[in-house]
Amino acid sequence: MPEVRIIAKNFMDMVASMPAIKLDKLYQNGFICEAILRSLPPLAKKYVLQLLHIDGPVSAKLLEEWVLPDGLSKHKVAIDRLVQLRVFVEALDRKNEKTYKVNSTYQRSLQKLLVHGGTLPRESMPSNITVRLPTLEDLETYALEQWECFLLQLISPSHVEKTLNISSSLMKVFQRRLLSQRDKEAPKLTESGFQFLLMDTNAQLWYIIREYISNSEERGVDAGDLISFMLELSFHVIGEAYNINTLTDFQRNIIKDLADLGLVKLQQGRKESWFIPTKLATNLSVSLTESSSRKEGFVVVETNFRVYAYSTSKLHCEILRLFSRVEYQLPNLIVGAITKESLYNALENGITAEQIVSFLRQNAHPRVAQRIPAVPENVTDQIRLWESDLNRVEMTEAYYYDEFPSRDVFEGACDCAREWNGLLWENSKKMHLVVKSEVHSYVRDFLRRQK
Amino acid sequence: MTSAPSKLYADDVSLLVVTLDTNPFFWTTFPFHFSEFLSQVLAFLNSILLLGQLNQLVVIATGCNSCGYIYDSTSNRNHASTNGTMPALYSNLLHNLEEFLARDQKLTMPHAPVTVPSSLLSGSLSMALCYIQRAFRSGPMHPQPRILCLQGSTDGPEQYVAIMNAIFSAQRSSVPVDSCYIGSNNSAFLQQASYITGGIYYRPPQMDGLFQYLSTVFATDLHSRAFLRLPKSLGVDFRASCFCHKQTIDMGYVCSVCLSIFCEHHDKCSTSLYLARLNQMLPQQTTGKERLHNVSGLITLILSCPSRELICYVS
Repeated sequence: MPEVRIIAKNFMDMVASMPAIKLDKLYQNGFICEAILRSLPPLAKKYVLQLLHIDGPVSAKLLEEWVLPDGLSKHKVAIDRLVQLRVFVEALDRKNEKTYKVNSTYQRSLQKLLVHGGTLPRESMPSNITVRLPTLEDLETYALEQWECFLLQLISPSHVEKTLNISSSLMKVFQRRLLSQRDKEAPKLTESGFQFLLMDTNAQLWYIIREYISNSEERGVDAGDLISFMLELSFHVIGEAYNINTLTDFQRNIIKDLADLGLVKLQQGRKESWFIPTKLATNLSVSLTESSSRKEGFVVVETNFRVYAYSTSKLHCEILRLFSRVEYQLPNLIVGAITKESLYNALENGITAEQIVSFLRQNAHPRVAQRIPAVPENVTDQIRLWESDLNRVEMTEAYYYDEFPSRDVFEGACDCAREWNGLLWENSKKMHLVVKSEVHSYVRDFLRRQK
Repeated sequence: MTSAPSKLYADDVSLLVVTLDTNPFFWTTFPFHFSEFLSQVLAFLNSILLLGQLNQLVVIATGCNSCGYIYDSTSNRNHASTNGTMPALYSNLLHNLEEFLARDQKLTMPHAPVTVPSSLLSGSLSMALCYIQRAFRSGPMHPQPRILCLQGSTDGPEQYVAIMNAIFSAQRSSVPVDSCYIGSNNSAFLQQASYITGGIYYRPPQMDGLFQYLSTVFATDLHSRAFLRLPKSLGVDFRASCFCHKQTIDMGYVCSVCLSIFCEHHDKCSTSLYLARLNQMLPQQTTGKERLHNVSGLITLILSCPSRELICYVS
């Protein structure tokens, strides 16, 4: 499943592709440095920490000496990432050897963060002004509801009862790569759209944020500012109220969009209004790494291919419908079955078997999640077998020859096709021949010459 | 613990339990000041939390009369005291440390000790292991735990049995014990602890650059350790302490029932009340590794098969 990986990881590539001046400007903020640090592969994190207090350049050889032979590839990946993000600055020393040095802006910010701690640009509001703050549980359900509502609207705009305030133009941007619409037909999910639905919430969130940011230039918003605000937001404390007046006009516009996505909750008091970051917002910096969030699963798969999903969510039902036949729906339970037809349907839509299996695994109900494997082996094997069934037949365009005038001509044609590496099948008794379409012209020329 | 469910967690998420030596008798005699030591350690602890949002950190103070938890990154009493000059971690930890030191001092025996009392390493190791066990049981997904001992005072031979038991239980639950020993001579206990549990034992040659040593060596998560060349201990002191006088001995007498070690001959074992003669061990030329097997063999035998006849114990 190459697509998913790319979608989930692309955000950092986006940061990496920013021009050096903008990156250095970003690195003046300690929180961004921290978020970047957390997004790095484990070895890279260690290197940053190791060189954090070293001012001079360190030769590449010296770093390599620490690495065992097994780890060389990981070492390379780590160093490449660091150089890409301009956390490490590459240079050549007098002896023409490669050296690395921590980007001085980054170094200063992180050192400061380490020793003095970071301060957010705004403080949380005292509790005597903010009334009826939601509890953490309420906030989480609010965030998830908002997010699901958004997703439903994203994939099937006609089905939603409660519409969000997101402008239709912005919605179009999000849908750009997920839905395809032919004239006057109902929009259909594309291949990446299906894959998007099977990703975990954090990966989905980043995909949307990434689209949001890449679209920002068109709306005349600086991508660097947007990124830094997003990352900063992820370090706010969940459930605390922050005054909206501390935001700039530009940020105030963004926060409204973010509220629609469920990243923050907006509340209004008598005089002031404030925003409360939810778990989705604080997860922004976590989800940069490949780790998945701890989320309670809801799916039980039995060895007889039945799927029980303990969920009230419409979205979950839609997702299950992608690859299984939903049989009945009770208030808190969806019962379905994975059948050959339903799975072929999914595979045709571009979902891979591996994605389905990993979706079932990641969302396994806590009761079965402790079991190993969480999804019965016969089911996962069968899903994979069905997928490989589809790949059993390989199609090649070909040309078919028969009625050769003589055996010599037939054998000459066979040899000619063989020479060009295009002979697919021959039957010397009946003098039939099948060749690849690329070779057709050569064989035709050969036959003409024979005449 | 199987690794399949923890796969959902990122590879490098760690739970680090640090035991911090606060023995005042050691620090007053040590040339490097405690406050300077602390400032370097704090920066290191903060950097562990900085590396990942899911990383957990627990600090246990090892006093000479008691031990106590002084910081837990998962407890929710932590935040809210950030005032911009230092991270919440520092203020919380320092506050708890002060309270702990005052409490520990009150417990001091009225008569002045003749020798420098050792820190209660066994106590803090046990507390660390208890905490880790709780994390293990918290659910299928837990961070990878490891223990780091920041120790300065010399070994207390009277804690030998307790420490060895802690080490073996750490080994059983595959929790590596890293040790950063800053005292003048090597610590035999910590050397053994790190050797047996597969942790790192390191004695920083210079105290000024402590942070650099800590962040280079001990900040490495368990996942990355598979790819890196980290300091290896050259020799490990495997000597045991006798149960009767709590002295470190080279050669001793072992009870064939309970495997207690004594420095002199007794007719009756004081631990198991076994009446047979205690046999004297023959000194043998063995390498460190073989000796180690003997030691771990001893302890497992105590657990499994008490009636086994005499085991050869060589130190």
